[in-house]
Amino acid sequence: MTPRQKTNILLPLLLIFSIILLVILGTSVFRETKDGETRPVLNVLNWTSYLPASVIKDFETEYNIKVNYGTYSSNEELLAKIAGSKSGTYDLIFPSDYMVDLMISRDLLAPLDQTRIKNLDNLNPLFLGQPYDERNEFSLPFLLATTVFLYDSTKIDRLTSYKDLKRPELKNNLVLLDDQRIIIGAMLQAVGADMNSVKEDDLNASLEFFETIKPNIKAFDSDSPKTFFITNEVDAGLVWNAEALLAIEENPNLKLTYPAEGFTLSMDNYCLVKGGKNPDAAYLFINYLLREDVARRIVEEYPYISAVKNAETLPDAELKLILKNGSYVENVGADIKKFDKLWARYK
Amino acid sequence: MNQSPAPNYPQGRKFDVFKILFTAPVVIYATALIALPLLYIFFLSFLKSDNYGGYIFEFNLENYGAFFDSTYLGIFGKSVLIALIATAICLLISYPFAIFLRDLPERRRNFIMKLVMVPFLTNSLIRTYGLITLLRKHGLVNSALLALGVISDPLNLMYNNLGVLIGMVYTLLPFMLLPVCTAVGKVDQNLLDAASDLGANKFQRFLKIYLPLTRQGAFNGALMVFTPAIGYFFIADILGGGKAMIIGNLIKNQFLTARNWPLGAALSIIIIIFTFLLVRLYRKIGGNLDELGGS
Amino acid sequence: MRRLKRVPKMRHFYIYSVLFLLFLPIFILIFFSFNESKLNAVFTSFTFDWYVKLFENSDLLDAFKNTILIAVLSTSISVVIGTLSAVGLKKFTFKGKSLIDKLIYIPIVLPEIVLGISLLSVFALTNLELGFGTVLLAHISFSVPFVITSVRATLFALPQNVESAAVDLGASRWQVFWHVTLPLIRPGIISGALLAFALSMDDVVISYFAAGPGTNTLPLYVYSNIKTGISPDVNALTTLMLIFTIIFLALSAHFQSKARAEREL
Repeated sequence: MTPRQKTNILLPLLLIFSIILLVILGTSVFRETKDGETRPVLNVLNWTSYLPASVIKDFETEYNIKVNYGTYSSNEELLAKIAGSKSGTYDLIFPSDYMVDLMISRDLLAPLDQTRIKNLDNLNPLFLGQPYDERNEFSLPFLLATTVFLYDSTKIDRLTSYKDLKRPELKNNLVLLDDQRIIIGAMLQAVGADMNSVKEDDLNASLEFFETIKPNIKAFDSDSPKTFFITNEVDAGLVWNAEALLAIEENPNLKLTYPAEGFTLSMDNYCLVKGGKNPDAAYLFINYLLREDVARRIVEEYPYISAVKNAETLPDAELKLILKNGSYVENVGADIKKFDKLWARYK
Repeated sequence: MNQSPAPNYPQGRKFDVFKILFTAPVVIYATALIALPLLYIFFLSFLKSDNYGGYIFEFNLENYGAFFDSTYLGIFGKSVLIALIATAICLLISYPFAIFLRDLPERRRNFIMKLVMVPFLTNSLIRTYGLITLLRKHGLVNSALLALGVISDPLNLMYNNLGVLIGMVYTLLPFMLLPVCTAVGKVDQNLLDAASDLGANKFQRFLKIYLPLTRQGAFNGALMVFTPAIGYFFIADILGGGKAMIIGNLIKNQFLTARNWPLGAALSIIIIIFTFLLVRLYRKIGGNLDELGGS
Repeated sequence: MRRLKRVPKMRHFYIYSVLFLLFLPIFILIFFSFNESKLNAVFTSFTFDWYVKLFENSDLLDAFKNTILIAVLSTSISVVIGTLSAVGLKKFTFKGKSLIDKLIYIPIVLPEIVLGISLLSVFALTNLELGFGTVLLAHISFSVPFVITSVRATLFALPQNVESAAVDLGASRWQVFWHVTLPLIRPGIISGALLAFALSMDDVVISYFAAGPGTNTLPLYVYSNIKTGISPDVNALTTLMLIFTIIFLALSAHFQSKARAEREL
C-alpha cells in the first residue's frame, strides 16, 4: 500500500474519533464539573470483586470524597504495586494475613490509630489478635475468605479430601485458584505436610501429588472461578467461599464442602500505606465500611465472612471451628523462591 | 540508506539553532526513552533480587543461569513454538488470500483491504473476549459442531495451548495479511504470464515467482506476528486458563508478582538478543527496516 | 495491463471465509450489545438499554476519556518529534547518528513487554509517579518510531531537485522546510500519525506496566474486567466506535476513487 493510499484510508479516522471524543469528553467533563473539582481524593487498592461499586459511590456522595479505586488479584501483585510506586500513591489497601506481616517487616505500613475508629466495637473479637499482627497495631480485619470445594452434586460424588480430586470423572473438569501459595499449600496438606512447609521433601511430594491431579485441571483462575461453574465449563473446583456461594445462587445443584486435610484461611485487613497522602479520608472510609448496614451490603454481594459482628450470619461456634481447622499462609522469607520455581513447574 | 544525493542543509556554524531543532529531539528521545531503559534492565539483569522487589548490588550471572533451568527453558521453548506455529498459520492463510485477491477487480480489492483493517482498528481485547464466547465448552463453535453431529463431545478449544494459539493467530493475522497482500499485489503480471506460457502450473508459479518476489513482505509480516506473539501475556491469560504460560507471562510475573526484577530483566535481555538475531536475518534477505510496522 | 480473468468461485469463497472468521468475534460482540442479560453467554431478549447505561458508567467513560486523551496527546507529540527526527536524520550528520539510527527501530521490532518493563524500571528508578504522565510517555516512546519510518518513506521518495531549486532561488533553510519539504511529506506524516493513534488506542501491554491508580485506559478497563465478565455497555461502546470506523473507511474509499478519477482526467 502506498502512503498516499493509506492517507486516504486513514485520514477520516481522525475525524471519527474526534466526534466520539467530543461526545464522551463532553459527558465526562460535565460529570466532573457537577461533582466539583476540589474534592479530596482517596487512593484505594482492593481485591477484584470485593466491594460493590454502589458502596463506594455512596461513600463518595456522603463524604464528598473522590475514591480512586484500583484492584489487584494477588497479594504479590499488591506488594509489587506498593513497593514499585512512589510513596504517597496509595492510602488504603487490603492485604491478607501473611502480606500484612511482610509489609510490616518491610516498613510499608503506617500504624493504625484505633482511637480514630469509632466503629471499632462493631468488629467480632474472634477475628482480632490474629498471629500476623497480634496487637492489631497495623491492621484490622475486614473479610475472611476460606478455600472450599465446590462441585455439581448431580454429576460428581461428594468431595471431601484433596485425594478426591484425582478421580477420573474429573478429567479436564476442575478449576483451581490461580495462587501459588494456596495451591501448593493445598497439595502440601494433601500429602500430610504443613501448608507452609519449605522442606524439599515435602515440596517434592506435593509436586508428585499434583502431577496426579494435573490432567483434571481445566484452568487456574482467581478472579472469577464461579464463571466456570455458571457457564458449565467445569463441575468441580477449589475456590473461595464467596465465589462458591455466588455460584450456588445461580445453580442450586452446586454444593460446598471443606477439605478434610485442612484449607486456607485468608483474612483481608484494612491497612494504611506509609506516606499516604490522605489518612483522614482513609479513616473515614474504614469507619464507613465498619458500619453494620454497609458491612451487610458488602457480604450480600460478595458473601465472604464479615468481621463485623451483626453482618455475619454464621454463629460464633462455627466461625471458631473454621478458624481452628484452617491455616493462614505464612511469610516464608527468602524461601519464597522455592515456591516461585515450583509454581512454574506446576504449570 | 542515509546517503542521499539531495542537498544536505549547509553545516558549519558552531551553534546552529536549526540543526539543534531537528536533531535534539531524536537524540533526547532515543537516549531517554530507548537506550536508557534498555541499558538499565541490562544492568538490572546482573543484580540479585532481595525477594521483596528490591535489589542487592552484587554482580552475578545467576539470573541467566536460572534461564537455563529446565523450567524456564521449557516455557521459553514453548512460547517460541507457539509463536512460530502462529506465524506459519498466518502465512498459510495470507498467501492464498493475497493471490486470490490479486485477481479481483481493483474496486473490490480495495474494499476487501479496508475490511481487513476493521478488526485491526477494533480493540483487540474485546475481540479476544468475543473469542471466548466462540470457543468455550458450550460456546458457538462447539454448539454448532454438536448440532451438526460432527462431534459427540465438546472440543477443548480453550484453556489450553490450542486456545492461546487460536488467540494469537486471530489477533495478529491482520499484521500478516497487510504486508503479504501488498507484496503479492506488486508482483509483475508479465512474469506470471510468461511462466504460464512456459507451462508452469499454479504451484510452480507460487514457488518460483510469488515466493521469491514476496519473501521480504512475508518476513516483514512474520516479524510483526512472531515478536508480539512471544510477549502477548494477555492472550495466554485469557485463553490459556492460567495453565498455558508463555514467556510474556513469565516476565510479567517476575515484575508484578514474584518481585524478582533481575530475573525478569535477564529474561527480557534474552528476548532482545533473540529479536536482534531475527532482525539481522531480515536485513540479510534484503529487508528494509522502514517497511516494518505496517508502513 | 493486467488481464481481467474470471475468478473461480472457490477463490471468492476462500476470501470471504477468511473475512468472515476475522469478523465473527466482532459480530458476536455487536450481537451481545443488544442482549438484556448481563452475561455474554445466552441471548435473552433485545434491548437498547446498554447504549443508555453506557453514559452512566463513569469508570468506563473515564477510561475512554483517558484513552482518547492519551492517544491524541501522544500522537501529536510523536508527530512533532518524529517529523523533526526523520528530517534531521536525513539532512544532518552528527556524533552518534548511526547508533541513533538503529535505536529508533527497537520499539518496532521488540516485543512490547520488554519495552514496557524497561520503562517501568526507569520510572521506578527516577521515582516518577505512575499515572497519566507515565502512560503518555510510554505511548510516545513506542509511537515515535512509527512516525519516523512513515515520514522517512515519503522523504526518500521526494523528487530531489525541488529542495535544491528552492535553495537556488534564495530560500532560507526555514523557508525550504516550511514551504517545500513539509507540504511534500504531509502524506507520510498523516499516515504515521494515524498508525500511532491506532496503536495507542489499542495498547494493552505497555500501558499495563506504566499505569498507576486512577489512570485507566479502555483496554486496561476491559482487561481487568474480562474474567469476571465484561458488561454489555462495553460492547455498546465498541459497537459505536466500530460504526464510526466503518463509515469513515467507506467515506475514504469514496474520496479515494474520486481522487483517482481526477488524476486520470
